[in-house]
Amino acid sequence: MIHTTILSWVTFLYFAAFVFYLFRMILGREFWGKAATGAALAGLAAQSVALALRWRASYDLGFGHAPLSNFYESLIFFAWTIVLLYLLMERRLKNRSIGVFVLPVAFLIMAYASIAPGMNQRIEPLIPALQSNWLTSHVLTCFMGYAAFTVAFALGVMYFVKKAAGLKPGVFIRLLPSEFQIDELMYSCAALGFIFLTLGIVTGSVWAHYAWGSYWSWDPKETWSLITWLIYAVMLHTRLVRGWRGRRMAVMSMVGFGCMLFTYLGVNLLPSLHSYMS
Amino acid sequence: MTKKKSGIWSFFASVQLAIVLLSLIAFFALVGTLVPQREAAAAFAEHISPALFSFLQKMQIFDLYHSVWFILLSGLLAVNLIICSLDRFPLAWRRFRMKHEPENEDVFRDVPEENTFLANADVQAAADEALSLLRRKYRAVERADGEQGVWLCAQKGRFSLFGVYIVHVSILVLIAGAILGSVFGVEGYVHIPEGETAEAISLRSGGQPLPLPFAVRCDKFTVEFYESGMPKTFQSDLTFLKDGAAVRTAKLLVNHPVEFGGFRFYQASYGAAPGGKATLALAQDGGRRDVMNVAQGFVFDLPGGEGTFQVLRVEENLMKMGPAVKVAVTSRRGEEAVFWVFQQIEPIKKMSPDIFEQVPVFNPALFRPYTFSLLGLEEKYYTGLQVNRDPGTPVVAVSALLLIGGLMLILFSYARAVWIRVAPSENHVLVAIAGRSYKNQPGLQKEMQYLLAELKDHLEKRQ
Ligand code: HEM
Repeated sequence: MIHTTILSWVTFLYFAAFVFYLFRMILGREFWGKAATGAALAGLAAQSVALALRWRASYDLGFGHAPLSNFYESLIFFAWTIVLLYLLMERRLKNRSIGVFVLPVAFLIMAYASIAPGMNQRIEPLIPALQSNWLTSHVLTCFMGYAAFTVAFALGVMYFVKKAAGLKPGVFIRLLPSEFQIDELMYSCAALGFIFLTLGIVTGSVWAHYAWGSYWSWDPKETWSLITWLIYAVMLHTRLVRGWRGRRMAVMSMVGFGCMLFTYLGVNLLPSLHSYMS
Repeated sequence: MTKKKSGIWSFFASVQLAIVLLSLIAFFALVGTLVPQREAAAAFAEHISPALFSFLQKMQIFDLYHSVWFILLSGLLAVNLIICSLDRFPLAWRRFRMKHEPENEDVFRDVPEENTFLANADVQAAADEALSLLRRKYRAVERADGEQGVWLCAQKGRFSLFGVYIVHVSILVLIAGAILGSVFGVEGYVHIPEGETAEAISLRSGGQPLPLPFAVRCDKFTVEFYESGMPKTFQSDLTFLKDGAAVRTAKLLVNHPVEFGGFRFYQASYGAAPGGKATLALAQDGGRRDVMNVAQGFVFDLPGGEGTFQVLRVEENLMKMGPAVKVAVTSRRGEEAVFWVFQQIEPIKKMSPDIFEQVPVFNPALFRPYTFSLLGLEEKYYTGLQVNRDPGTPVVAVSALLLIGGLMLILFSYARAVWIRVAPSENHVLVAIAGRSYKNQPGLQKEMQYLLAELKDHLEKRQ
């Protein structure tokens, strides 16, 4: 199907964008940065088209649901939100050096979605419990949050890279934002993610209320999303009230990201209402 | 501020405690996903020693989310939130009420170079321009004309000072809603075969079934499938009865619960119920053939008037030989013949040709002159309903709205005050801008730069 073909091109474009960001860093020439942004933008546009086509295709098959219903579709959407958020940030900050940390994540997710064994790429109808607009808003907001946390994580990695380079930074390191800026950005991303995760948990509870009869049932996925939410709540408080900055924030963003990943992927190893994801 | 600061008070007002509590709750939640909970704990018991198991059970490790530990942590969090908010709210209130004077030299003390510019205009004209610019973007704008120039002060976003309190109160409301639900809520389920009525539900927590103050009848259950065999829709047609009289009918679908008499009904599951309908054919030696729909318990007259027959059982798959119906025929003289009528009688006969001699009750022609045959079964379903009552739900819904509203207030707005000073400077005017915010100083600096650029632009256009 055409959208599958487009998506393999998107994977390639994100990889190209990553390589160009890397060139920019090593060679220190802005030409490569522009090429990288171009590739990422082209990838994002193509991916949007592919998502729309997939959505259309589900209507042609007679099911008609947003392309957010299984693990494969969630991975694709995850990559899309990460790149979208990153490009918005790049525009706002007028700084391209974060791309080299973010684009590989998007590329790896796309690659995993297309080559992982046992990945079901078909468009399938929804079982009755999943036929709900609340579910669509739930998945949408959760992945917005996940994307923001992922960018915060990438910034955390960047913080350590910058630190590790120490006192003799090369061109590569000098192009990175200052530690202060990285810290501010990391906090903004974590706060944005926190809001979206809150929305995600709330919409999920509303859906559960309609579908299963109770807004919260301590299902492992629910519980892990709560754990993730609490970790980021702690992160906000340690920063705002205790004044934690820099290295500690970078560690928190990594711990939070780990929890988020476990919520998204690891929980499938445990029995769960949400196991439709696998 | 110093009046109530006892040791206990400052303990509960501290954010360290909040951080510890939030981390502990996260930790307990994590343990709960690793250790089997509730029903699953029984299987786990076989892997550890009985002594250890009963110790862990006493510690409520197998029902962590409802354990005293969790209640204790939530309670401490609630107290922490209340005390912390009481402790800090007066400060927020003062900041909210604070009126900034336009004439304020303090804020202009360390104004950076980039926050000023020289313009070729007269002081009054420049001040008017600045005033109209501020009026367009801020609520409360004040002006003071002094000896050394004109001061303007504008404020915005004061309500966001309450964002944090709204978020924190929402957590308290959430805890209250959860308590309400766990104390007064009911979580149960009931299976109702088509055509039957239920007057009580089983409780998830076990114990005696709970009688409902009304009755529910399942008139019909329908399930539709996709081509792949995956279910597409489940639907129960329900009738609610009070004192035997139908009060309301409703169609219950997954994701579309029905509320009646304070309880919410959810379509949770379904299954095949024993005793569906069957279509029987009765052939008489020599020609006449009657077809009739029967169900378990029905009694019919034989077409020739030789007696009656009753359907004793309807089986979907009897002894792995397919659908079958058990029939008892009673003649007028009182003789009785009981036998099974199989739908797939031909294949059975082919497999064992003398089955009727060996097992006479499998012979559908045991009562002469009739031969029964089973044309088909119509399946009968039961519908599985989740039945809940949770008076805490509306409270929790309010808390969710507060939480989201409060977070939006924090994220999308912040309290700040901006000053502009227009002072004569030889034959120019010196315009300077300064601002104060409790947080987001970088954002405020950007905002001021933007204001300054716009003002400069306007002033240049005037000339
Ligand atoms: C699950 C529970 C909690 C949530 C979701 C939560 C949420 C938040 C958020 C989002 C902020 C950021 C406000 C801002 O950016 O201005 C904040 C700040 C704060 N929180 Fe919490 N909080 C929780 C529990 C607590 C507790 C138990 C305390 C008790 C001490 C507390 C004390 C504070 C304080 C002192 C601030 C800083 C307020 C300020 O900047 O003036 N929080 N909280």
